[in-house]
Amino acid sequence: VTGHVRVPWPLPIRLVVLTGITALSLIAAVRLGAVSISVAALAAALAGRGDPATVTIVQSLRLPRALQAGLVGAALAVSGATFQALLRNPLAEPYILGVSSGAAVGAVLTVVTGWSVRTVWALPVAAFAGAVLSMMLVFRIAYGVGRTLDTRVLLLAGVVTSAFLVAVVWLVLTFADPESVRSAIFWMLGSHANASWRSVGILAACFAPSLVVLMSLARPLNLLAIGEPTAVYLGTSVERTKLAAFATATLLTAASVSVSGTIGFVGLVVPHAVRLIWGSDNRSLLPCAALGGAAFLIAADTLSRSLAGANELPIGIVTALVGVPCFVWLLRRPTSVLR
Amino acid sequence: MGIGRTARCGATARTRRTAYAVASIALAWCMAGSLAACTQVSARDTAAGQHATGIDVTDDGGLAVHLPQTARRVVSLTPSATETLISIGATGQIVGRTRYDVAPEVASLPSVGGGVDPSVEAIVALHPDLVISWEIEKREERQKLVSAGVPVFILRTQDTTDVFRSIQWIGKLTGHDSAAAAVAASVRATLDSVHRSVATLPSRTVLFVLYDDPPVTAGPRTYIGQLISLAGGRSIFEDAQENWPTVAMEEIVRRDPDLLILPIGKFKTNPLDRLRHAAGWRDLRAVRSGHVATVPADLLNRPSTSIGAAAWVLRRALHPEVADTGHAPAPDATP
Repeated sequence: VTGHVRVPWPLPIRLVVLTGITALSLIAAVRLGAVSISVAALAAALAGRGDPATVTIVQSLRLPRALQAGLVGAALAVSGATFQALLRNPLAEPYILGVSSGAAVGAVLTVVTGWSVRTVWALPVAAFAGAVLSMMLVFRIAYGVGRTLDTRVLLLAGVVTSAFLVAVVWLVLTFADPESVRSAIFWMLGSHANASWRSVGILAACFAPSLVVLMSLARPLNLLAIGEPTAVYLGTSVERTKLAAFATATLLTAASVSVSGTIGFVGLVVPHAVRLIWGSDNRSLLPCAALGGAAFLIAADTLSRSLAGANELPIGIVTALVGVPCFVWLLRRPTSVLR
Repeated sequence: MGIGRTARCGATARTRRTAYAVASIALAWCMAGSLAACTQVSARDTAAGQHATGIDVTDDGGLAVHLPQTARRVVSLTPSATETLISIGATGQIVGRTRYDVAPEVASLPSVGGGVDPSVEAIVALHPDLVISWEIEKREERQKLVSAGVPVFILRTQDTTDVFRSIQWIGKLTGHDSAAAAVAASVRATLDSVHRSVATLPSRTVLFVLYDDPPVTAGPRTYIGQLISLAGGRSIFEDAQENWPTVAMEEIVRRDPDLLILPIGKFKTNPLDRLRHAAGWRDLRAVRSGHVATVPADLLNRPSTSIGAAAWVLRRALHPEVADTGHAPAPDATP
């Protein structure tokens, strides 16, 4: 789409390389952690043999956690790329329409009522419900303004709804006991500590069809990125594309937020990084961003739980501290497609 | 406590999240490590002199405190101090409490907010001649109270030695020295009898679950850690350096304790149903075999004259096979 002349790697090679990087970070994630496990013990534990504690650590703590981080990273990156294309705004990211704030309201309500302490699924379900409700509210506001969906209005509706919901969260927390405030804040900072095979399964079941839908919209999204009149002229059913893409990307974000809280930076920067390297054709951007986001978040989660011993660093801190320098390097690279 | 302010001024989603992060880390750290945060402040030599002109002492925060006379109107910003005041017969001198006080003796008294974020105005309006607070109390709030003419006394209550010292302090400041000494002696006797009742028994390994997500426990140099070993238990994190360490789930699985102790109460919902399904927890031997004891959080959270009762509750949880003796309080202390 942009006028770069460099011949980039063909898509299959990019995907193979990114899959390799994701596999490496997955191996590191299973290998590293608070308890050190030898390679032999790790192999035995993966096969379900050896010390039962090690088997538990590897099979029910590290593996689901790494896979959840990968799925969330992929979901946020794909969703961020979609939002950036739809809103034609480089600052767009998965949470820009208030999904995370809606999820936070749901999550905080279960925390202060003690429901999340008693029941394992209460918080993710409420967070997902909050995210979906806030999304419906935002679209209701945006569609109430004109006959078609104006992305500028949608953006504003998202920002003000988000501001309102954040105020609700802090209002509730102002009157909450310290323990609830603590739990709510840990949730809002984002973490994969509560990953389980069930959360991995649910997330995978959301992610696979969403990726298929968004991939099928990749070409219309390319046209939309040029401008809506052009897209209409070139035969895109603009309104249908916008609605389908927004809904899919938002649901994907809602699913991610409900299992892991708000993890910033991935959805904003991974798509940009992929664009800087290989250009902004959504047909290759979406799958590359998915793999890049997965590798990046698995690595960030591994760092967050192995850098400071038992005190896990909030993963959002790691994504920003590691991601920003990498991104600046990409931006300044002589072969960057922006140059 | 500043969070609301920081969050409100965020104009964009990103600024807001950064503000969240900063404010929340500050708060989370402050709460998670709460008491641990200030342990470096060494309790100064606590030589106190009661001169004709009043009481001049140095508190556990290292600052000089002057009272013209023994305190008649006391605001307690920490429920443990409230409990100690009640047990040494100073109930009539308490004029204000926090919203976390559960003792029926002070239920009718006005609340001045939380112990971490009390309302300075509400405190001043009660015309106290002494505010008893704890280490976490913010400097500027103390300064505001002091400049309003209200003396503030900071207590350090990390271990049992601190608890006995604070009983003595509270007795001195409120003019109940001898009652305080008598109560302290009886608490000491209770602790001794708890210890004697388990002296010949093998100790069981235990995890005291102060918080479960992320897991936080009591270190060996806290009063809870000390009461656990006194009551015939051995914490799986007795090697912890911090007082209230955050511990990795992996490490809990590896050290696999005989018993989990969960403090539950008005402000602590019982998490057991969730832990039975939560990754890591559900694989623990103690959870699978049902070796999970609940203890009243209100009792265990109070480094006060109630540590004797707390020791008995812990001993019942750790060694239910042993019959209660002598000083054991009525079992209604257990929920």
